[in-house]
Formats: sequence, C-alpha cells, structure tokens
Amino acid sequence: MQRNEKTWLHAVFESPIDAQGALQKLTEYGFDSNDIEVRSSIPLEGLYPPDLHVRSHVPLMAVLGGIVGGICAFMLTSLTSQAYPMETGGMPIVPLPTTGVITFEGIAIGAILTTVATVLYECGLPFFRMKSGPLDHYLAEGQIIIAAFMRADEYSDWTSKAVATKRQGPHQAEHTP
Amino acid sequence: MTPGSMSREVPLFRPLTSWRPKLILGSLLAGAVAALLFYSWGYQIRNDIGVTGLNRPVFWGFYITNFVFWIGISHAGTLISAILRVTSAEWRRPVTRCAEAITVFALSIGGLFPLIHLGRPWLFWFMIPLPNYRGLWPNFRSPLVWDMMAIGTYLTGSILYLLLPMLPDLAILRDRHIADNPNSARARIYRFLALGWRGTAQQWHSLESGIRALAVIIIPVAVSVHTIVSWDFSMTRQPMWHSTIFGPYFVVGAIYSGIAVLMVAMYLLRRGMGLESYLNDKIFNNLGLLFLTFTLIWSYFTFAEHLTVWYGNEPSEMAVFTERISGQYAWIFWAMILLNVALPMLVLSFPLGRKPFFTAIVGVGVLIGMWIERFLIVVGTLSLPRLDFTVGTYQPSWTELGILVGSFGLFVLLYLIFIQIAPIVSIWEVREGEHHLGQVRPASEHPTVETT
Repeated sequence: MQRNEKTWLHAVFESPIDAQGALQKLTEYGFDSNDIEVRSSIPLEGLYPPDLHVRSHVPLMAVLGGIVGGICAFMLTSLTSQAYPMETGGMPIVPLPTTGVITFEGIAIGAILTTVATVLYECGLPFFRMKSGPLDHYLAEGQIIIAAFMRADEYSDWTSKAVATKRQGPHQAEHTP
Repeated sequence: MTPGSMSREVPLFRPLTSWRPKLILGSLLAGAVAALLFYSWGYQIRNDIGVTGLNRPVFWGFYITNFVFWIGISHAGTLISAILRVTSAEWRRPVTRCAEAITVFALSIGGLFPLIHLGRPWLFWFMIPLPNYRGLWPNFRSPLVWDMMAIGTYLTGSILYLLLPMLPDLAILRDRHIADNPNSARARIYRFLALGWRGTAQQWHSLESGIRALAVIIIPVAVSVHTIVSWDFSMTRQPMWHSTIFGPYFVVGAIYSGIAVLMVAMYLLRRGMGLESYLNDKIFNNLGLLFLTFTLIWSYFTFAEHLTVWYGNEPSEMAVFTERISGQYAWIFWAMILLNVALPMLVLSFPLGRKPFFTAIVGVGVLIGMWIERFLIVVGTLSLPRLDFTVGTYQPSWTELGILVGSFGLFVLLYLIFIQIAPIVSIWEVREGEHHLGQVRPASEHPTVETT
C-alpha cells in the first residue's frame, strides 16, 4: 500500500503515564518510530518511541560557530587596520589586547547565531505551511497528543479500540487486543 | 494539568485574547510621553546640538548618563535569567520572560542615546565596520567601536534569547486562537509567529539544548557589555575615571539597577494583571535577598573607589572628589548614598521589607540613585577635567529633559505592547515546573481520539 494512502490517528492523553502506556502499546504492535509522533506543551523526558533517536548537535555547532565568529572578527580587525595603517606612534598596528575585545564579541555572536540556526534546523522551523491537527487545541490545555501513522484499513480497527477504551475505561483498554 | 493550573493561567491569556481598556489607555499615555522623546529629538536635529546644555568641557551630559543608565537596566533580564537558568533555580520560571523583555527594550532605548548624542544620527554608519567614502574603516582600537560591537552582540543575543523560549507559548496561543476562530487576525498572527512549532520530542530536545547553550554564552557577553561601557571612561586619563575597578564596578551597578527595575516591573505586573499566584511573595523574598546582596557589593565598590582616590590625594582627582563629597554635587551624592545604600539596607534586611510593595519602593529609590551615580561619573568629572583651565559647568536644557522623560515613556510603551502580544510569564516553563513537582492529574482520564 502506498504511503499516501495512510492516515494519522490522533489521541489525547491527560497525563504522561497514560501517554507512556499508549506509546508502549503502539511499539508492541510493531509501529515504526517514524510512524509515531508524540507532542506536548512541555518537554517530557523519555516520552518518545524507544527506537527514535532524539539528539541535538547544538553544543558542537555553538563551539564551531564561536570559532568561525572569532576568526572572522580577528581577520576584520587585523586586515582592515593593515589596509589603512594609522599613525600609532610606534605602537603595534594590530595590538592583541584591543583586537581581543572585538574577537571575543565575534566569538559570542558566532556562537549565538549558530546556536539559534541549529535549533531552527533541527526543529524543522520555520514551517509556515504546517496544518494544525484536529486535536491541537488540547495541547494548549497542557495535554499530550500521540499520533500514529497507519494504513487506511487499520485505523477503523484502532479507532474502535480507542472508542471502546473511552467508553469502558482504562482498565478495559489494557486488555483490549 | 490540574483545573487549578488552568484557572491560574486565565490572567495570563486575558490581554492576549481580547482588548483590555486599561492596557490600551496605559499604552496611549505611555505613547504620549514617548512622543516627547521624538519631538525633542526632532527639535534637536532641526536646530542642531547647540539646543542642549552640552558645552566645553562637559561634552557628555544627560545623553551619556542616560546611555549608561539604560544599558545598566538591560542587565535585569538576560543576565539574571541566564544565571538562574544555568543554576536551575526553580523559582525563576515566572520571572524569566518579564526580565528578558526588560533587557531587549532597555537595550534598544540605551542604544538610541549615542545616536541622539551624535547630533547627526544619519552618520552613525561610520561606526559600522564598512569602509566609508574615503576608504577608512572604524578604528578598532577605540572603546567606542568596542561599545557598538558589544551592544550589537548583546542586543542580538537578548532578542534571540527572548524569542527562542517563546516559540512553544506562541504555539499555545496559535492553537487556542485557531480553536476559537481559525480565520481571526490573532490566529493568523500567532500562526506566523509560532513558526510552525509542534512540540515534538525532537523539537523539545533541540530547544532545551539551545536555551542552555544561549544561557551559557550570554552571561560573559552581558558582563562584557558593561565592562566595555566602563572602558569608555576608564581608558581616558580623566580624574576619577582612570580606574582599574571601573569594569566590575559598572557591572555590579548594572545588575543592581537591573534588579531594581525588575522588582518595580514585577510589582506592577502583579498588581495590574492579577499575577499574584505567579509572582508570589516567595519570589519577591528571593529577589529581595539578591537585591540586598548587590546593595552590599555596590556599597563596597563605591567605598573602595572613593577611598583610593582620597588616600592617593592626587590634586586633579581630589578636586572632583571634594566637589562630590562637599561641593556643588554633594547634595545629590548624599542622596545617592541614601537611596542606594541606606534605604535598601534598612528595608530589605527584614522579611517584611522583602514583601512586594516595599521591594518596589526600594527599587524606585535605587533606580533614582543609580541614575544619579551615572550623572556624577559623567558630569562630575567632565566639569573638572585634569587640565583645570577648562573648568566648566553643565545645565541640561528642556530638550535633554524631554528626551530623558520620553525614554521612560518609550520603555513603558514597548513593555505594554509586548504584554498584549506574548504571555509575560513563560507558560510552558511554569507548566514544566508543576510537572516536576508532580502537580499533574493521575492517569485516570479517558483518551480523546480523532483521525486525519
């Protein structure tokens, strides 16, 4: 079956414990980590599919950005001072202490800009064409959304299970195959 | 989230979901005062810098005093917020956003003053590292160029440090407005501002890494900014400026005045927006203790600075010192000591004095005291320079007074506009704090399901 014939099934959970349970069930039923999405209005430690690799290169990129920023700032001060050497009365044209001040600011701005750019890149932002999900307003209320990407013929089965859960309570749901 | 948490958030969303007459009236009043700045500045541009009280030898008057003052105020937010984030102080959560906003607006206003002082503000680009029409580059050996670089870095960092943690809150607002009316102007605005934030595990992980990294980077930048501002003075040979402790002295003074404005802003937000449950007595008590600590540190630096001058007994320095202690500036010097040393120590040393109202009163006093301190540093020295045949006096003109008053109006206006655009308390950070404390409903509710 083609991927575009699949659909997302969204479910809202009040607490991380509920959401963790649902996540576990989805994993047990063989859902791939790419087909499960957990969304929340706060960061929840460990609440994502076990085989999903959540990682960030922000610290490394910040260091690299700082190095590049520092080099650029140093080049700016030293090269421009030499391009039009002013009379300094025998003092160095490129004095390291004063160049150091500009270099420091270059390091900082390089690290800041790289940090923000990396965060945006890793988050896939900006994404202005993003369409809101049907239950996104629950996120605003502090609840957790788990969405599973499944085949069209599967979701009616899953929906009925979930509706059964809703009607019969969580204990019944745990025993629902 | 508990129902209690939800009802606690109501005052936060109120100015973001409907027009509040009080806020609009306040914005109009602040706008009227801010207009004074632009009118006075326009008048000065039209009639030239001669309309000010600046003269030889007092080339720096109110404008540079205001510049140092507003840059100092800007240390309220980003620096304090970053320190509290790095140290994982849990009580920081409701404070960070309102503090960070102070930084951005104070820094923007502070950055205006060198332009105003230029007289011909359209020539400011001579400071930007671009060759001008004669092929000259800025002189990177000059502390004034360092200033521009440092303030530019700090402003960029502070704006990003304010905006980045705001994304999840803007997404919350987007989702709320879309649920109410997806075609409303507010829904469209927040959809744009939230940049498509969805709150996935990867997004949260990256965002938290980014905030941590920015917090670590921004602390030395903030310290560098006011150190470099102090070097504008201490790199000269002027009496009572050429001091090795000017860097840390200015940084301490900046944080001190920053905390003062934060106390005042928090008190007004608490009263005006009904945020008592967020900006509670415990936070005022904690910040009050920090305030008291900085009172002691600032007093120590002030004493050390004056003691070495007095003990050195160098004639040109003693001339400035004597004018300050017992001469024409004595009354404002002692007023400064009263406001910056005596008042905070008397009030903040007691638990009752660290209640919101009293901390706000002390905050106002310290703000006035710190402005006086900057005035004494700038004008006190320049009116009695090392070459004593150029002794002079300084009287500010109405243009300078108008710009000073207008700058406060502009600050309040920007802050009030911000309150109507973004939550002044970081919603997700507070929710996260509640989650850590276990104030979430146990797993008993049924899930809600839908397909797309």
